[in-house]
Amino acid sequence: MNPQMRGIAELDRVIHEPGRLMIAALLYAVEKADFLYLLHETGMNKGTLSSHISRLETAGYVAVEKTYRGKIPQTLLSLTETGREAFKRYRKSLKEAL
Amino acid sequence: MEQIDNMLARPKRYANIDGLGELTAGIMCLGFAFFQWEQIRSPAGAVWHSMYLFAIYFGALIAALHYGPRAIKSRITYPRTGFVEYRKRGRLWLSVASGALAAAVSVLIWIAVRHHWDMQMGALIFLGIAPAYAYRFAKTARWKWAVAAAIAVSSLAIAFISPDSLVDLTGDARLKPFVRFAGSEMLNLAAVGVLTLISGAISLWLYLRHTQPPVQEAQ
Repeated sequence: MNPQMRGIAELDRVIHEPGRLMIAALLYAVEKADFLYLLHETGMNKGTLSSHISRLETAGYVAVEKTYRGKIPQTLLSLTETGREAFKRYRKSLKEAL
Repeated sequence: MEQIDNMLARPKRYANIDGLGELTAGIMCLGFAFFQWEQIRSPAGAVWHSMYLFAIYFGALIAALHYGPRAIKSRITYPRTGFVEYRKRGRLWLSVASGALAAAVSVLIWIAVRHHWDMQMGALIFLGIAPAYAYRFAKTARWKWAVAAAIAVSSLAIAFISPDSLVDLTGDARLKPFVRFAGSEMLNLAAVGVLTLISGAISLWLYLRHTQPPVQEAQ
């Protein structure tokens, strides 16, 4: 297999899915953001966004923190160090493959 | 790849989605302009020339500009389109760059005052605000390029005003050398302040129009 094809084959499949890629890219640029922000920026519905976040959380890429803003529940999300490294690696691999 | 880069840039643009960045900049410029206006038209011994008032006035202005937008964001922006906490890394180079820029501007002002280039140098300094505004704000909406152009045009227009017309504003002869430069700076600050304030108000109005008030449920 030539190196370019190998690069494509080795892309992180958890991040490669478009919805999760959007979430990872948005969280990569910030310290943390809440569920509402991701909902607004990605244009996904709540169910789809939740399932993508769960998948990223299971992979250890996203940390979920349940808190309150005043009396309103708030879900804060951030990329873990593993998630940051995985996203950085993904971008590098994609750049090389393209 | 371009789409990923665009996604990475979105949180930065989100900081001014409600126009509060421009409103803050506008109020800051008008606050400075108002203080200079009072200094220009007051006699040399007036309270507007005291260091105490300077410290109190700018302390209050900076505190209002620091806490005001935060309070508005937590009441309007975060409940409507979400909360974002930005990364704090990489601030050192920003501080160094800001310091270098401030030093360069101080040198330009010193040269300007020595050579009586008051209005032109003031305009040159403020002409630099147009690209800075374009870089910071105009990327989010096309119409803001018109605001950047208006800032550049206003700086150029002020450069052609006779410094003597500003000197006439003060009755105190001792202040005349100060007024020549401070007057130019005041006019530029007022122009930039009004333009960014208008732009920020339009952004806020559009933001409120296109977003819905929050419903009481989990986010």
